Amino acid sequence: MSDIHLDIKQVDKIYGTANSAVHAVKGLSMAVRRGEITSLLGASGCGKTSTLRMIAGFETVSKGTIKLGGKVLNDLRPVKRNVAMAFEGYSLYPPLTIRDNIAFALKASKLSAKDISDKVHTMADMLEITDILDKHPSSVSGGQQQRASLGRALIRDADLHLLDEPMGQLEPQLRALLRGRIKHYIKENGITAILVTHDQAEANALSDRIAVMEGGYLQQFESPQRLKDQPANLFTGTFVGEPPMNTFSASVDKESDKVRFDLDHGVSLSFDVTDFSADVIEAALALKSVVIGVRPYAIKRDDDGMKATVVANHWLGDQSHIAATLAGQSVILVEHDRAPDKAGDDIFIKLDPDNIHVFNRETGYAVSHGAEIVG
Amino acid sequence: MTTLELRAVTKRYKKDTVVDDVSLTVADGETLVLFGPSGAGKTVLLRLIAGVVEPEEGQILIDDEDMFDVDAEHRGVGMAFQNFALFPHMSAFDNIASPLTVGKRSVDEIKAGVDRVAKLLKIDHVLHHAPRELSNGQKQRTSLARALAGSPPLLLLDDPLRNVDAKLRFEMRLELPQLLAGQGATVIYVTQDYKEAMALGQRIAVLAEGRIAQIGTPEQIYLSPKTIDIARLFGDPVINCYDVVGQRDDTGVFVELSKQRLSLDDSKANCVDKNSVLGIRPESIKFVPENTPGSIPITIEAETPLNEKVVTLALTEGGREMLISRPSGTVAPTTGNAFVKIDQRALLIFDQTTGENFVDSSEIDVDRGVAA
Amino acid sequence: MEHQSKLETVLRGIALLLVVVFFMFPIFWIFLMSLQTNETILRVPPSINFEPTLSNYRALITGKLETSAASLEINFLQNLWNSVFLSVASVSLALLLGVPAAYAFARHKFKGSEDIAFTLLSFRFAPPLLVLLPLSLYFQKMGLADTYLGLIWVYQLICLPLILWIVRGYFEDISPDIEYAYRVAGHSWFSTFRKIALPLAGPGIAAAGLLAFIFAWNNFIFALVLASADKQPVTVGALAFITASGIQYGQIAAAIVMSIAPTLALALYAQKYLVEGLSLGAVKG
Repeated sequence: MSDIHLDIKQVDKIYGTANSAVHAVKGLSMAVRRGEITSLLGASGCGKTSTLRMIAGFETVSKGTIKLGGKVLNDLRPVKRNVAMAFEGYSLYPPLTIRDNIAFALKASKLSAKDISDKVHTMADMLEITDILDKHPSSVSGGQQQRASLGRALIRDADLHLLDEPMGQLEPQLRALLRGRIKHYIKENGITAILVTHDQAEANALSDRIAVMEGGYLQQFESPQRLKDQPANLFTGTFVGEPPMNTFSASVDKESDKVRFDLDHGVSLSFDVTDFSADVIEAALALKSVVIGVRPYAIKRDDDGMKATVVANHWLGDQSHIAATLAGQSVILVEHDRAPDKAGDDIFIKLDPDNIHVFNRETGYAVSHGAEIVG
Repeated sequence: MTTLELRAVTKRYKKDTVVDDVSLTVADGETLVLFGPSGAGKTVLLRLIAGVVEPEEGQILIDDEDMFDVDAEHRGVGMAFQNFALFPHMSAFDNIASPLTVGKRSVDEIKAGVDRVAKLLKIDHVLHHAPRELSNGQKQRTSLARALAGSPPLLLLDDPLRNVDAKLRFEMRLELPQLLAGQGATVIYVTQDYKEAMALGQRIAVLAEGRIAQIGTPEQIYLSPKTIDIARLFGDPVINCYDVVGQRDDTGVFVELSKQRLSLDDSKANCVDKNSVLGIRPESIKFVPENTPGSIPITIEAETPLNEKVVTLALTEGGREMLISRPSGTVAPTTGNAFVKIDQRALLIFDQTTGENFVDSSEIDVDRGVAA
Repeated sequence: MEHQSKLETVLRGIALLLVVVFFMFPIFWIFLMSLQTNETILRVPPSINFEPTLSNYRALITGKLETSAASLEINFLQNLWNSVFLSVASVSLALLLGVPAAYAFARHKFKGSEDIAFTLLSFRFAPPLLVLLPLSLYFQKMGLADTYLGLIWVYQLICLPLILWIVRGYFEDISPDIEYAYRVAGHSWFSTFRKIALPLAGPGIAAAGLLAFIFAWNNFIFALVLASADKQPVTVGALAFITASGIQYGQIAAAIVMSIAPTLALALYAQKYLVEGLSLGAVKG
C-alpha cells in the first residue's frame, strides 16, 4: 500500500446548481503509484480536464477524496499542494525571458545561482531550447513556448507533476526524440507524472498506465499493452490504437467441431472449437449477436483465407496501410514491408483466433480476448 | 481534361516573399500534394491558384489559358478549407448548394446535385442542420461536399483533415483517393502531415520558405530526399543524423559510426573526404544478439510505443542519440545494454555545408525500396 | 466556480444594490419630479410625499406652458419629432456610407488605408465647439444653416466614425476563407458582400447603428448653434423651460423622461447587441 502516491477515491465533479447540473466526473477511483507516469486519455468532455483541475486545486471536489502522499488534498489551496503543472495554454510569464520562466520556481528554493543556472541549462538542452533562453515568450514559436512551459514544470521538485496536453504543439521532427528524452528524465528523477491528453499516440508513448475516460466515467486503467490486448469494452478497444481496431457485427453459431461467426454478405469466419476455451463459446452462443474486433496487425495474408478487395494501399515509408472491403465493411491491415497491392486487387486474409476480441453487441463489454474469457 | 501550370509565380506581402518563383505543372487527373511546415507558403499558393489572391509576378494557367484576367468565380475550381469555412448562417444543404445556385439551375437540379455529393460523403441525414449543429467530422464532410458539388475540374483542398480527430483523419485518408478518383478532377492537396502527403499524393511538392525544395513521387522523396531538411520532414520517428567524414579504402566507400564501419555503395562516393551528415532511418536499425559481427552497442534510454511500432531512444558509446523503430509485437530488449545493426543499403548521406544529398535523386532506383 | 456561502451571496447582493441605486437614483428622482409641480419640487427639505400630477406632461403635449407670470407656447412635440427624424436620417446615411467603407477597410489593406481610417476616427476627438465656429460660417454662406440637411450632414461627425470602427472590427472577425469559399463557388464579390459579409456582420451593424442613434439623439451643441427652434431636437428644446419667471423643473423633468424613454427602450431591447458591439469595438478599435 505504501507505494500508492496519489489516491483518488469515489470522486465526483458536478458543475452548476441543482437544477442545471453538469456531472463531469462520476465516481472516479484510481490509485497512482510513486514514480509512475499515468495518462488521462479521452476526447474533449470526457472529464479528464476536470479531474486534472481537481487534483491541482483549481476546482473543488464535489464528492469523494483526493489524497497525495497520504494527505487529503480536498480543502488545500493550490499553492499548498506542492504540485507542478504545465498548462495547455503554456501560461508563460510574458515579461520574463524563457530562462527566467524556467528558473522561476527554483528562485524560491535554497539553490545557489550557479546550481539554478546549471539545472536550467540541462533542461534547455534536453528540450532543445538553449538558443532561445534569452528571448521572451512572445517572440518564439508555439512549439518552443510549449517546450519552455514543459521545462518550467519538469524542473520543479514537486510531489506530483501535472502535464496538460504537454506535447500537442511540438514540431513533428522533435516529437519522437523528446518523448524518449522526457520519459527518460521523468524515470531518472523518480517523478510521478499525470498527463492529460486526447492523443492516444502520446499516451501510449509516455505512460506506464493509461486511464481511458469517456462520459465522466473511467473506462479502463491499464498499461498501454494490456489496453491493446485486453480492452474492457468496445469503446476502449476502438479508441486506443491507430489504425483503429477492425470491428464486425456477427452472429454466432456452432456446428460439431466448428464455431462460426456469420458476418454480413454471406461471409463467415469459421474456427475450430479448440481455438477457444469452452466458456467463451458458451458465452458467445448465449449472446447470439456479438461484435468481433481484430487489431490491424493481427490480420495476416493467407492463400486459403477470405477474399477481400483492396480499396487503398498507402505506403508511409516504414508501414503500409491497406484498406480493403470484407463483408461489405472496411478492414484495415498494417504491414511493415512495402505492399504491392493496388486498389481493386483481391487479397486473401486470415484472422488469427488468438487475436480476436468478442464484445457483447448490446452492452459493449468484452466477452473474450483470444481463447480466454473475460473473468 | 484539366491541367494546371504555374510559371515563376511570386507573391509578396510587404517585404516578405511568401511564394518565391514557383513553377510546376499538374497533369490532368493527377493529385499533387503541396507539403511543407506551416509558413511554407502552401495556403497562399492555393489561394493564388483559386484567384482570391493575386500574384506579383508569374503566370497561372488552367488548361493552358492564362488566368491573369479571370476572376475567382470564373476559374471553375472547387475549394475546401482547413477551418471548413462553412457559411454559418446557412444550412448544410445551402452550403453545399452554393456552387449550384449560380446560373439557371432549377430547384430540382440543385437538389439532385446536393444529394449526389451528400450521399457520396454520407451526410444526407444532416442536410437541414446549421453548421454549428454538426460534429467536426460532419463539418469536414460538408465542406468537402461543397467543394465537389459543382463538379469542378480542378479541386483545391487546403489541409481539409487538419481539424478532425485522429480516427476520422485516418478514415478519410483511406476514403479520399477513391472519392477523388470518382470525380475525375485534377487535385491540389495541401497538408503538413507527411503521412497524408505520402498516402494521397501521386506526386509531392515539398515547399520550404516559399520555394519548391523537391518535387517527386512519395518513393522518390522518402528514399532519396534532396536535402537533409526534407529527409527530416518525412518519417516518424525522425531520421537519425550523424556528423561523419566519408572515407575510402581498398574495399570501397565507408563511414565510421561508433567505431563500426558502414559501407556505402559507389553512388555515394562524392562524400569521400568531405564533412558529411549520415542519415539513418529508425526502421533500418535492427536489434541483434550480442557480438553479432558489425553490430553497435547501445544503451537504452526509453521505450515509447507508437502506432503499430515501438520506438526506442538509445545512446551509442559516443553518447550520441539513436532512435530505433521496430514493429509492435516483435521482441527486443527494453532497458539496459543492447546491440543493433544498421541496414547499410538504406543509408543516406548529405553534404554537411549545403545539406544536399550526395546522390542525385534522379539516379535512384526507387523501386528498390527500403530493406525488408 | 468556487462554492459560495450564504453570507457571501447576501453581501454580493447588497453591493450590487448599492451600485444600482447609485446609478439609477438620478433617473428615479427625475421621474418623481416630472410628476410634481414646481412648488413641491422646490420644497426644503425635499420629500417624496406629494400628490402626483400629470400636468407637466399635459403641458408638453398641448404645447401650452402656464407660469405664474405668463402663458408660453412651447413646441415640445415638434422637438421630439425633430430628434426622431434627425437621428434616424443621420444613422441611416451613416450606415449607407459607413458599412461599405468599413468593409473596404477591413478587407483591402491598401497604402495609407490605416491612416485614412484613423483620420475618420479622429473627427470624434476634436471638441465640437472647435468645429462649429467655422462650420456655422460656411453653413450660412452655403444656405445649409437651419436646414435638416445641414444638421444631418454635421451629425455624420458623430455617427460615421462610430459605425466605421465598430463594423470594421466585425468584418475583420469574419474569416476570409468563408468569403473565398463563396467566391470560388462562382459568386461575384458584390454578391459575396451581400450574402455572406453583411448577414454575418449583422449584429455588429445593429450595435453600431444603435449606438450611433443614441449619440445622435443626445447631441446638444450642433443643433443649438446650427438650427433655429423649429428644427431643434429635444435636447435643445428643453432650454425653453428656463423662462423669465424661473426654471420650470417639473416640465424639464417630464421632457427628460419623454426624451430618454425611446433611447432607453431601444437600449434595453438591444442590450445584448450593444454590449457585444461595444466590447468588440473596444478590442478592435
